[in-house]
Amino acid sequence: MSETAATAGSVPASTAVPAEQYNYDIVRKFSIAAVIWGVLGMAAGVWIASQLAWPFLNFDIAQITFGRFRPVHTTLVIFGFGGNALFATSYYIVQRTCQARLYGDRLALFTFYGWNLALVLGVISYTSGITQGREYAEFAWPLDILIAVTWVVYFWVFLMTLMRRSQPHIYVANWFFMAFILATALLHIFNNLQVPVSLTSASSYSLFSGVQDAMTQWWYGHNAVGFFLTAAFLGMMYYFVPKQAGRPIYSYKLSIIHFWALVFLYMWVGAHHLHWTALPDWVSTLAATFSILLLLPSWGGMINGIMTLSGAWHKLRTDPIMLFLITALSFYGMSTFEGPMMSLKSVNALSHYTDWTVGHVHSGALGWVAMITFGSLYHLIPRLWNTKIFSLRLIYIHFFLATIGIVLYIVSMWVAGIGQGLMLRAFDQYGNLAYTFTESVVFLHKPYVVRAIGGGFFLLGMLLMAFNIAMTILTARRAAPVADESRATAASAS
Amino acid sequence: MSTNEKPSKKPGEVDTTGHVWDTNLEEYNNPLPRWWLWGFYATVVFAVVYWILFPAWPVGDGFTKGLNTVTFTEDGEEVTTHWNTRSLLARDMQTGTQAVRQREMLETVGAMEYDEILADVDAMGFVNAYAKGSFGTWCAACHQTGGAGVVEQYPNLRDDHWLWGGTVEKIEETLVLGRLGYMPGYRESLNSDQLEEVASYVLSLNGYEMNDEAVSAGAEIFTGELGGCFQCHGMDAAGRTSQGAPNLTNNIWGLVDVPGAADDAERVARVASYVSGGVQRVMPAFSDRLSPTEIKVLAAYVHSLGGGQ
Repeated sequence: MSETAATAGSVPASTAVPAEQYNYDIVRKFSIAAVIWGVLGMAAGVWIASQLAWPFLNFDIAQITFGRFRPVHTTLVIFGFGGNALFATSYYIVQRTCQARLYGDRLALFTFYGWNLALVLGVISYTSGITQGREYAEFAWPLDILIAVTWVVYFWVFLMTLMRRSQPHIYVANWFFMAFILATALLHIFNNLQVPVSLTSASSYSLFSGVQDAMTQWWYGHNAVGFFLTAAFLGMMYYFVPKQAGRPIYSYKLSIIHFWALVFLYMWVGAHHLHWTALPDWVSTLAATFSILLLLPSWGGMINGIMTLSGAWHKLRTDPIMLFLITALSFYGMSTFEGPMMSLKSVNALSHYTDWTVGHVHSGALGWVAMITFGSLYHLIPRLWNTKIFSLRLIYIHFFLATIGIVLYIVSMWVAGIGQGLMLRAFDQYGNLAYTFTESVVFLHKPYVVRAIGGGFFLLGMLLMAFNIAMTILTARRAAPVADESRATAASAS
Repeated sequence: MSTNEKPSKKPGEVDTTGHVWDTNLEEYNNPLPRWWLWGFYATVVFAVVYWILFPAWPVGDGFTKGLNTVTFTEDGEEVTTHWNTRSLLARDMQTGTQAVRQREMLETVGAMEYDEILADVDAMGFVNAYAKGSFGTWCAACHQTGGAGVVEQYPNLRDDHWLWGGTVEKIEETLVLGRLGYMPGYRESLNSDQLEEVASYVLSLNGYEMNDEAVSAGAEIFTGELGGCFQCHGMDAAGRTSQGAPNLTNNIWGLVDVPGAADDAERVARVASYVSGGVQRVMPAFSDRLSPTEIKVLAAYVHSLGGGQ
């Protein structure tokens, strides 16, 4: 006992305070899962990018071809990496900002196993050729049900934790998380209204058909971007940016206005993915104009984040985590400018069906989603394990690898997309189309190689992060008896 | 961390809302940035103008049509309608610069005879440019971009070896009617020795040194009733374009990869195996997919690839 007391005493007082007040165990689980899925999902991405550049990499093995691996990549990075990071940070933030322990330990644990089981089964089913064929929602119907149940439990846990808060006001990050959880439930359920072929078959038919089905898919698809990949990560931003900067949020008013504008406007814009199709023209117009209206509300989040750092810019020189967060906000601003431009019918006529779209998505996905997540996890992990990060230098290296990777990725896809778009609409002196489709594909090879290399840089950074975090946790574990005892002491003392 | 660790404020800075979360999370009460607000208003103005000009809002069973119009011709009459993508395409195809230019060229070439087209530099310039796209769309899937075909599968259109005739008229006929390439399989009428004898004979016609006995036995089968090969390929084995039967004496091998074989034994085995199995292949007819002028352009193009007779 006296030995315990002695070691506990050596732990800095500030780190030993609220260990048992909050459910950190669930946050730790989700954080580790996010890193593991991140490595796998990004590796899958580099793999399929390489297949596009060098098709022989298919090796004629059906399970690893582009068609089956592409949904593996998107599912693992969006729902594996992004999803687990959102569970982790939302559970952490809602507890910290409500000053209340997470509701329902077992329910929270259920969300962890339900979500990750769906991911594992999803990967197995995609590689075996079982897919619903709906982009970003390829899960077969039994997995849809598992996800729906998990998501309702997530909603309940989050809501009940908010209800138990010992703070009079709900912090802005939690508004965004709540909007994200509600909207995602809505999107997931309506996009997956399917009639199974039979109870023993994974195949099913969509309840909708034709252009209505396409509309439903892109209403889902774009709001997955809007609520899953934007609103939720803004929630992350609203906590970790002011925390890391040690400064108040720039404007409370702006946060209210841009929050409501964002959640109202996003729901209208999905149809801009279907310009120049069988979609009625008026639907196209509404989608395009609402996308333009969305520009400034999106920027509201960027302004609030970046201006929060105003007066503490010097931190960028010494704090690589801050670098991640601010760069994420810059890419967020850039891609939310690019998006509305691409949603205009005339621009879309050039960009649609080309790799410009792919580049745009990745400037958001790598630049915004992944960078803000990296920054947040680097802030979060040491606090969860009550320790210090293993290597600050590795965070710096990760930052530069990631940034170089993103720039290579986006620039090569601009070249590929705009180049192909221009080739497909070029005419010769006789009024004939100047290029065949095959010629445009031949042109894509070099940009595809650069893209694969860019993805490789990004993956390398992710591997460094996994190593850094593993070492951080292992170091903390070595001192584990100390930490555990100190927690116990703190708990009994409170 | 205690609450008095709040971030320090410079003089003149706005107050926070007074709410504090998680020890030190606060919010300034800054007003909305002016440029942000005016920027947002500008997008609203943009959207409203857009809605006035284009089809935009659903109303009852219809939708607001917008002020913009499209004028095009339908069944010989000029029609003006609200802006919509279908009419836009119709107008573009009727009066668009490139469409008009292409149509004029098609009409010009369509009115010319083959010998005129083949002799006219400008007409052939158009033919090559137009066919690049239409050959790519309709023909390249089998004959490959450039028309070199695939040995053992699809005919090469760049050489002087024609199954159905290489005059431009015959090429047009092939495009219009399509072709059924057929040679019966001999596995039931010839035994393996006889198959090899026929193969040896055919190879000998192309300059390969073969066993004399096998060659003469093969010649007997080829030109006699047992094989009956001459019915299609002719007594001299020079082929008959009326049957789609190739010349077997010019050492051009479209369906059997003879040049790829290592030695005489393999050559014989390859030809014998082919004679044993026979062949059935189809080129589809294009008369119901392409206009006579488009077929004319393609025929002139294929003729010009190198082997036209």
